[in-house]
Amino acid sequence: MSHESPCVQVRDVHKSFKRGGDVVDVLNGLNLDVQHGEFVGLMGPSGSGKTTLLNLIAGLDRPTLGEVIVQGQTISRMTEGQLAGWRTRNIGFVFQFYHLLPVLTAFRNVELPLLLLPLSAKQRRQQVTTALDIVGLSDRVNHRPGQLSGGQQQRVGIARAIVTDPALIVADEPTGDLDAKSADEILNLLGELKKTLNKTIVMVTHDPRAAERADRVVQLAKGRLAPQLAK
Amino acid sequence: MKYFLLVFETMRQNWLRTLLTSLGTMMMVFVVTLVFSILTFLDRATSEKSQNLKAIVSERWQIPSQMPIAYADALSEGAPQKEGDHRIESKDSMTWSFYGGTTEKDLRLATRSSFLFAFALLPSSLLTMMDELDSLEGPLKAEFEVVVGKLADNRRGIIVGKDRLAALEKSVGDTITLYGLNYKEINLEVDIVGLFPPGRYDNSAAINRDYLRAALDAYPQSHSGKSHPLASKSLNLVWLRMKDKQIFEQVSNQILSSSSFSSPAVKVETASSGISTFLEAYRDLIWGMRWLLAPAILVTLSLVISNAISIGVRERRMEFAVLKVLGFRPWQILLLVISEALAIGVFSGVFSAGLTYYMVNVYFGGLKFPIAFFGEFRIPWEALWWGAAIGGGTAFAGSFLPAWSARTVKVSDVFAKIA
Repeated sequence: MSHESPCVQVRDVHKSFKRGGDVVDVLNGLNLDVQHGEFVGLMGPSGSGKTTLLNLIAGLDRPTLGEVIVQGQTISRMTEGQLAGWRTRNIGFVFQFYHLLPVLTAFRNVELPLLLLPLSAKQRRQQVTTALDIVGLSDRVNHRPGQLSGGQQQRVGIARAIVTDPALIVADEPTGDLDAKSADEILNLLGELKKTLNKTIVMVTHDPRAAERADRVVQLAKGRLAPQLAK
Repeated sequence: MKYFLLVFETMRQNWLRTLLTSLGTMMMVFVVTLVFSILTFLDRATSEKSQNLKAIVSERWQIPSQMPIAYADALSEGAPQKEGDHRIESKDSMTWSFYGGTTEKDLRLATRSSFLFAFALLPSSLLTMMDELDSLEGPLKAEFEVVVGKLADNRRGIIVGKDRLAALEKSVGDTITLYGLNYKEINLEVDIVGLFPPGRYDNSAAINRDYLRAALDAYPQSHSGKSHPLASKSLNLVWLRMKDKQIFEQVSNQILSSSSFSSPAVKVETASSGISTFLEAYRDLIWGMRWLLAPAILVTLSLVISNAISIGVRERRMEFAVLKVLGFRPWQILLLVISEALAIGVFSGVFSAGLTYYMVNVYFGGLKFPIAFFGEFRIPWEALWWGAAIGGGTAFAGSFLPAWSARTVKVSDVFAKIA
């Protein structure tokens, strides 16, 4: 794949929502490029549009106007079904509250995205094992989320995000529910993913310490980019 | 297989709810299985056979039928009158007189356990014409043949069903006196010569018709020459077996066109038709069971399942949103929810129906539900797939709307509150 064009291109994107009888403009003509292998932090006050932008980049929503191009594909024109299939192969999502299925073991949680791919049980097992190795949880494969600490659960979440080997990882406040030590470990892990596996990472965060780990921090205000803090 | 495991694992989300839904399903499938079994039995009993059918000859204008004993011989042969008329062989006919009695001389002291209802018939017809007894095989048949032989040899003999014998607190070999209920002052001293095979006749009895006739003939001797009121009304039913409908039509015409059976007039109908007529009195009950009770239970079950699944879907909205984020398509979410419901429904239905089958047929030896003259009902083997169909069908019906709701979870809406 050619890496001349950015991994993520957001072109003059507008996004509006209907709230009751009113129309709320959340993003107003936003433009953003994220290069391959770049770690970008999205910051801004509440209601600035960070999560909305993240959802658009991750293919969880479609813009009202404008285009979102990820890995050369204009995802803003895809149908919901096409987006679902695209997400499985191209996006790894890390949630603030981990959102692991409580009745499944760590192994089965990480395996979930692979169920949608034409892989044999052996192939799935290999990929899950590799993902859990990377996040350092090989000894916890049969534990359920209730038996894991917050940091460990987030590691499982990251393993699930990388198990399909996506090029892009989007993280929505990945350290928001963790103590300082666990948050540090998670951020280190994300950094390792960028460095060793050349993952592109877009992270929404309120945490300045998390933002420090990013190559670049993008500030959003009222649906637009504020002047950037370059690293 | 991978999806099946996922379905099973997500069912463990809330064990208590799964268990309670399953128990509710089992309970309702149990009731519907019982109702369907009774209805199926009655449907089969009233459906017309085309071959090897049995016909009943009875009084046309009165129930219970009380025909003169003089009709017996002619009707037993099918009333052939001329060359070419069909003659019924003796092995293909049976006459019934109903004798009801009690072992308690003082009727005021009689209890249910002292009553006995007997068919007065020719002993050999027990083996050739009585339903279920005419198709016995192996040791059971050999054993019963011996008992019938004893009844034929002993005019005072009586064959009793095991439950009735236990209620009378008597044993084979005992002699009892029966004080007539319908045949007042016709008291019969009978020797218990044996038992009916277990099953349909557990609460019945059979005596030699000649013994009853002899008692009726002897009545005037002790009653100033007056005949017993039922002396000329002691023939209740005549059974005839015919090869096919054509012969039935022919014999029916022979009997109905004969002037010998005009006072009282008789009618000829197939057994299924006769049973239908007898069930007329229960028509509303049967209708209610078929069109009110069973549908009400099915609807209730669907609503119960729908409620349980709806609650589950509401609680799991975030989970469904996560699955969508991971790439699960809406139809896969729909299928996941419906599959969970189906798994619970089908398993519970089959288990319940199977357990009902075993408990009713094997453990209790039949469902004693006194509708018409049917002593007991058994669960047919079809109940096993009824259980699957009822459990699965109601699970599908009840889970469809909640599953549709799960399918339409908007990922962006669910995560809107975060960050």
